[in-house]
Amino acid sequence: MTTLPGVRRRRSRLVWRNTVVGWTFILPNFAGFAALTLVPVVVLFYVAFTNWNVFGVADWTGLANFRRMIHDASFRTALQNTVYYTVLHIPLTLAASLGLALLLNRKLRGLGFFRTAAFFPYITSIVALTYVWNLLFSPEYGPINGFLRAIGIAHPPGWTTSADWSMPAVIIVGTWREMGYYMLLYLAGLQTIPAELYEAARVDGANAWQRFRSVTLPGLRPTTFLVAVLLTIGSFKVFDVILLLTNGGPGQSTLVLSQFIYQKGFVENQFGYASAVSIVLFAICFLVTAIQFLVNKRRNA
Amino acid sequence: MKRSIPTVIGLAAAASLLAAGCGGGSSSDSDSASGPVTLTLAGWSLSTTPEFKTLADGFHATHPDVTVEVKEYDAANYDTQITADLAAGSAPDIYAQKTLKNLYTYATGGQLMDVSDVAKKLSNSVGGLDAYQVDGKTYAIPYRQDSWVLFYNKELFDKAKVAYPDGSWTWDDYVTAAKQLTDGLKAAGSKAVGTYQHVWQSTVQGFALAQTPGAKLTSGDFSYLKPYYERSLDLQNAGAQPSLGTATTNKLTYQAQFGKQQAAMLPMGTWYIATLLAQRESGDADKFDWGIAPAPQFDKSTTGTSNTPVTFGDPTGFGINTAIKKSKISAAKEFLAYAAGPEGAKALAGIGITPADTAAVTDTFFALDGMPTDELSKFAFAKHDTKPENPVSKYTAGLQNILNDAHTAILSGSKSIDSALGEAQNRAKNEVLNQ
Repeated sequence: MTTLPGVRRRRSRLVWRNTVVGWTFILPNFAGFAALTLVPVVVLFYVAFTNWNVFGVADWTGLANFRRMIHDASFRTALQNTVYYTVLHIPLTLAASLGLALLLNRKLRGLGFFRTAAFFPYITSIVALTYVWNLLFSPEYGPINGFLRAIGIAHPPGWTTSADWSMPAVIIVGTWREMGYYMLLYLAGLQTIPAELYEAARVDGANAWQRFRSVTLPGLRPTTFLVAVLLTIGSFKVFDVILLLTNGGPGQSTLVLSQFIYQKGFVENQFGYASAVSIVLFAICFLVTAIQFLVNKRRNA
Repeated sequence: MKRSIPTVIGLAAAASLLAAGCGGGSSSDSDSASGPVTLTLAGWSLSTTPEFKTLADGFHATHPDVTVEVKEYDAANYDTQITADLAAGSAPDIYAQKTLKNLYTYATGGQLMDVSDVAKKLSNSVGGLDAYQVDGKTYAIPYRQDSWVLFYNKELFDKAKVAYPDGSWTWDDYVTAAKQLTDGLKAAGSKAVGTYQHVWQSTVQGFALAQTPGAKLTSGDFSYLKPYYERSLDLQNAGAQPSLGTATTNKLTYQAQFGKQQAAMLPMGTWYIATLLAQRESGDADKFDWGIAPAPQFDKSTTGTSNTPVTFGDPTGFGINTAIKKSKISAAKEFLAYAAGPEGAKALAGIGITPADTAAVTDTFFALDGMPTDELSKFAFAKHDTKPENPVSKYTAGLQNILNDAHTAILSGSKSIDSALGEAQNRAKNEVLNQ
């Protein structure tokens, strides 16, 4: 192949111009991302190895923060609680949002209303939501326990005021709040499954359950994967619901990692230690997501 | 194309780093030794906390060449926001110490100027000065010193046919009275209960720490809390006060519980006096006969009006930002002395706020409209030995977090007192005191 030098120069100029145009489009977003996210994250990895208290010099302490974490019972509690929340919250939300999407994917009077109703919790202010849920959960005067007593449960749970029930209460609110959002993703996924597949299945004599198992679920696999990844990251990072609903209590029963980080950093001014815990949280999220990607890849292959 | 991506990322990252670096320290000093001085002062919730404006105006009246500008911060996130501004070099010249929890961090982090010389000149009736010392140096000057007292509703006491507190109460007397009040009020057809202890850990732990002989926060031995929690649980179980669960899930406020006559007694800090007076005017609180009594005591040795009752309360003070311009330092120190001194005290008392120098202003204070006039209320306001709730140390913030977990675990009934306090002691030893 023989190319004239002039042509090559023109082509490389074209490539350069395209690159510049492309980056110009990205630049405003990237500048903001760099200033507000990228730089702080890079700094975080440095601070995690120091004993910085916001003011003055950060002394390099090597792995001291990580060694401290191993022996820190509160960190272990926070980690256990985070796993507890995640393990229950992910399947519950997956099932609830898929169920809602299936229900609202048919021709139905007032469909728009029901879809909006399911999506509403997600866009309502979290502060208002938790305020109302706290009233509902009130052990003595709340309507939930009033209902439970009415159907014959003499000692209904204390919900957010009991160490055993506070986490389930938080999970219920978390699931209820987010299922509308993931329902939307599932609804979009359901539209992509060709109607012919269902017809073919019906012709072959498949009943509703078999059609669901063999057509709907495989057709939704990309959506399910996306939802699972988003849910995993969201669950590990859960913060606002818990902070507002129970503030980690009673005792440490709903203390999760992000709240632990907040406490150590912004309440006790131990930014070095808080950064180290953040790195661990990041590593956990990264690892679990990587595993999900691997599993998904193997299944698709 | 491929090769240029990392280059551009690198360039963009470098550029943003540079931009972030420049943002911080661009405070140009334009020294003006003579002429008018403008000081900036950090405060919170200016509409409901008039003290900053009052002190700023009062100081300007006596020092016409100094103007004090108040910068407003969010009350709930005050320390977080101040910390961010201090780190960025944009914090005001003088900033209030809202709690004692963070004083140690500010002082050892080099964010507070040593103001021991101001402290030396003040009269010794200024309460709370010692609380601001770290390694023998004073880092802030108190201008208000609230102390916890017992508010009570005389009309509900009459209704329940229970005798008013007379200054001789120990905590056991208080518990007995709360139960009698609850029964008496129920018999009289009222829904009000005996007392309301707000959800804060202070309502139990503050008193226990201040009053129990030998109790020390940083000792890591929390057994002194046990009798105080036994009484709180007793009150909850007897229905003489709303349980912690009810109070948190229904977001009860102490202002409404006492002001709307839902509870006959309320242990609370003297800051509530100003709120109660204001709410009587606005209609957020009922107009009823009320009084204040000294906080119930650990034992009989400190009860009675011939003794000095022991209670707790953190002072609120002003500190000077070390980044202040040199030309402003003397004016800032004068402002601190003014706020703590008798003139500042009178200005504060005029708006219902408890100044650091309470003895100087008791008469001004009780002349306010809506205040009780009985002798015991005046005694409770003027005379007390107020110990800090958060003694300044490196460990205070961490220990208080642990004790707050114990507080919610015990009062929610999730754990027994012994196991919750035992766990708190272990955590204190392994997570805070070993740092």
